[in-house]
Amino acid sequence: MKNIILTALLLSSTFVSAQQYLTREARLDFDAGSPLEDIEAFTESGSAVYDANTGKIGVQVLMTSFQFKRALMQEHFNENYVESEKYPKASFKGTYNEGSVAGGLTIHGITKEITVPARLDQEEGNYVLVTSFDITLADYEVKIPSAVSNKISKTASIQVQATLKNTSR
Amino acid sequence: MRRLRYIFILSLSALIATAQEDIFDLLDEETASTQYTYAAFKGTKLLNGQTNETPGKGVLQYIISHRFGSFTDEYLYNFFGLDNAHIRMQLDYGFTDRLNVGIGRSSVLKTSDAFVKYRALRQKSGANAFPFSITLYSAFNYRGARYTDGIDHYMSDRLSYHNQAVFARKFNENLSLILAPSIVHWNLVPGPEDPNDTYHLFIGGRYKLNNRIALTSEYAFSSNHSYGSGATEERFHNPLSVGVDIETGGHVFQFHLSNTRAMSDPLWMAQNPYSAANGSLFLGFNISRVFTVKQ
Repeated sequence: MKNIILTALLLSSTFVSAQQYLTREARLDFDAGSPLEDIEAFTESGSAVYDANTGKIGVQVLMTSFQFKRALMQEHFNENYVESEKYPKASFKGTYNEGSVAGGLTIHGITKEITVPARLDQEEGNYVLVTSFDITLADYEVKIPSAVSNKISKTASIQVQATLKNTSR
Repeated sequence: MRRLRYIFILSLSALIATAQEDIFDLLDEETASTQYTYAAFKGTKLLNGQTNETPGKGVLQYIISHRFGSFTDEYLYNFFGLDNAHIRMQLDYGFTDRLNVGIGRSSVLKTSDAFVKYRALRQKSGANAFPFSITLYSAFNYRGARYTDGIDHYMSDRLSYHNQAVFARKFNENLSLILAPSIVHWNLVPGPEDPNDTYHLFIGGRYKLNNRIALTSEYAFSSNHSYGSGATEERFHNPLSVGVDIETGGHVFQFHLSNTRAMSDPLWMAQNPYSAANGSLFLGFNISRVFTVKQ
């Protein structure tokens, strides 16, 4: 009898782990442009995890993986604005709950609590995460010199698109 | 025995449970990717010498350089040497993220030059880490100034060549250093005893004070410091420069103080007639502007 309980316990723990979903190919886009300058970048190497049991959801991206149309803009982004050498990653760690995610967004070493609308749909055994939201750069102490302040938006819009696959498969 | 097994299994399942506890750990368990080190230097040139950097693909770069008159030459009369400025203009293009080709024209000896620069190996971290960058640089220089020795010179007499391997390492966010051995070939040297090939070792570095301002310095050793002998002997000195890089958007301003006045390769490095010990110091600047012509 005891054995059966133990086996059930063990089985249930493996069952729990089977509810974790993961991708290393999340696509993130951001746009901090203005009418004077296009400032857009994307990456397709973000990580995203989701635990269907607890609702915990996380997204993480290497800042240097963002690709810009112009090499110099990419260099300035990493060197002068987000300081990728000091703060190599941006991440979100929170929970998903009925059409929105809430949790801590860390950019440039600074964490802010955010709640933004998000869609998390089950498709063919995978979870598809789609969200789009704006952040204020000043909240994350990304400094914009006054000489270029009319070229760079005070806010950046961020889009996330990820297909998370079950980790047990 | 049974009890032991019970505890063992329980603790095992507890272990599995805690392992699941932080799903966010999965985010960091990334398969190590290769990270190329970027922006070891702000410019493709340090002061006179080359850095490992090239403009990105599809980027056209224009550099205008000035070297002012000497501190020893009626300095105030010549408005801090500004009245005696020499100039060099450079136009170059990044065909790929690694290949850079350019041309230049300088008023010192009316030289025209052209170069090819190729980033052969790049410093990277993570998987396949490599500790430094190697950029290959090759330039040739055409002396346009008339010879005053009364001899009818061949066109080939006017040519010299500079081949260099630039080893650069970005040690941290602020400090980057360069070590660059060079071979220079002169088609024409003053005397039969003089070497046509000279060897040089360029050293340089930058230290960033903040995100936009960096201190820079460079020096080059030479295998040969004099040509000819007796009354016609020409003596040359190792070039030393200190400067500051200021970056604003698409521009890099490089201001410096140097004992060399020529700007085209290999003249500034291999045939510098000025010595800082005699007070021959020059103010100068390079300003680069980049244009993304193809995205």
